[in-house]
Amino acid sequence: MNTLEDAELDAWMARLADGDRSAFDGVFERLHGPLNRLCLGFLGDEADAADATQEALQKVLERASDYDPARRALPWALALAGWECRTVARRRQRRREVPEAEAGVRPGADEEEAFAQRKLVEAAMAVMGTLSEQDRETLTATFWEEAGPVAGATFRKRRERALTRLRQAFWRIHGLG
Amino acid sequence: MDSAELQQVRARARRAYEWGRIRRAALGVAPVLPLVALAAYHSSRPGTAWTFGMGAFLLGTALLWVGREPQRAVLPGLAAGAVPLVLALCANQVHVCGPDGCSTLCMPACIAGGLAAGAGIAALGLRRRAGWAWWAGASSLSLLLGAMGCSCVGYSGVAGLFGGYAVGVIPLLLKRAVTPTGPAA
Repeated sequence: MNTLEDAELDAWMARLADGDRSAFDGVFERLHGPLNRLCLGFLGDEADAADATQEALQKVLERASDYDPARRALPWALALAGWECRTVARRRQRRREVPEAEAGVRPGADEEEAFAQRKLVEAAMAVMGTLSEQDRETLTATFWEEAGPVAGATFRKRRERALTRLRQAFWRIHGLG
Repeated sequence: MDSAELQQVRARARRAYEWGRIRRAALGVAPVLPLVALAAYHSSRPGTAWTFGMGAFLLGTALLWVGREPQRAVLPGLAAGAVPLVLALCANQVHVCGPDGCSTLCMPACIAGGLAAGAGIAALGLRRRAGWAWWAGASSLSLLLGAMGCSCVGYSGVAGLFGGYAVGVIPLLLKRAVTPTGPAA
């Protein structure tokens, strides 16, 4: 999504927050793709990503009236979606833990790598949950290579501070730096 | 994801959006509820006060849910309606006794409160160049809120409130109609 499309989404979201229902389809169309890609990146499974996208879209649009037009809409929506992906990942983990334990399945090398990758993402998401909303938005925007809530030097400084806090929180929670 | 599935997702998201707005609207108007309880407690007709109060709560919720211009009528409507409500509740505690017996000052308070509420709404509406939805929302809300207090002397008190409101609104509207104005700001 380019800067023009970002600005357009901000305008659509502001209208939707004000109660203009004609902006609903525009917001839905513009959010569905990026949210789906984010969930697919986090979960690595199309079906789970579709579930997470659906739930994330519901969550974002449920909170659309709380949207502050002074902020960028996409990082705000992506931060909410990231949280939803984490919830779906946890649910999936609980669902799969029991059958795998019962069957005594030994995963192959690729599966082990994918499993480790997922675990890392889940750990990162858990740490993200301890950060402020602004930090979460900044890091999500960085991950997604989207324009952050603010541009230029301010965003870089904010990103550096958010990354430092993420490292500190990761070390505190998981004992890793 | 095929288009039928996408339509389902869109429909669910739309329902979530509407529910989110309803919840937010109800929370936004919730501070009126203690006011309704207080008015009903001090009213000689608590049933009527509850009816008007719940009407004001539901109307406020609906206006906030709808959004856009109607939602901007909620705060002015509640503020204007609080004037006759407070005046009527205070006047209900004061008795004036004459040769024919004692009575409260409820009726004059309702007329004066209606007048002030009408003038306030008219002045704000004209300054904002508000549309009919704003006028209808703000007027209904302020009249419902004021009627909670004005039910102290039955429906004649409510009629006094409506009369006072009309007298407060009409002169400003007439002045606006006869005064030539420039383009909207």
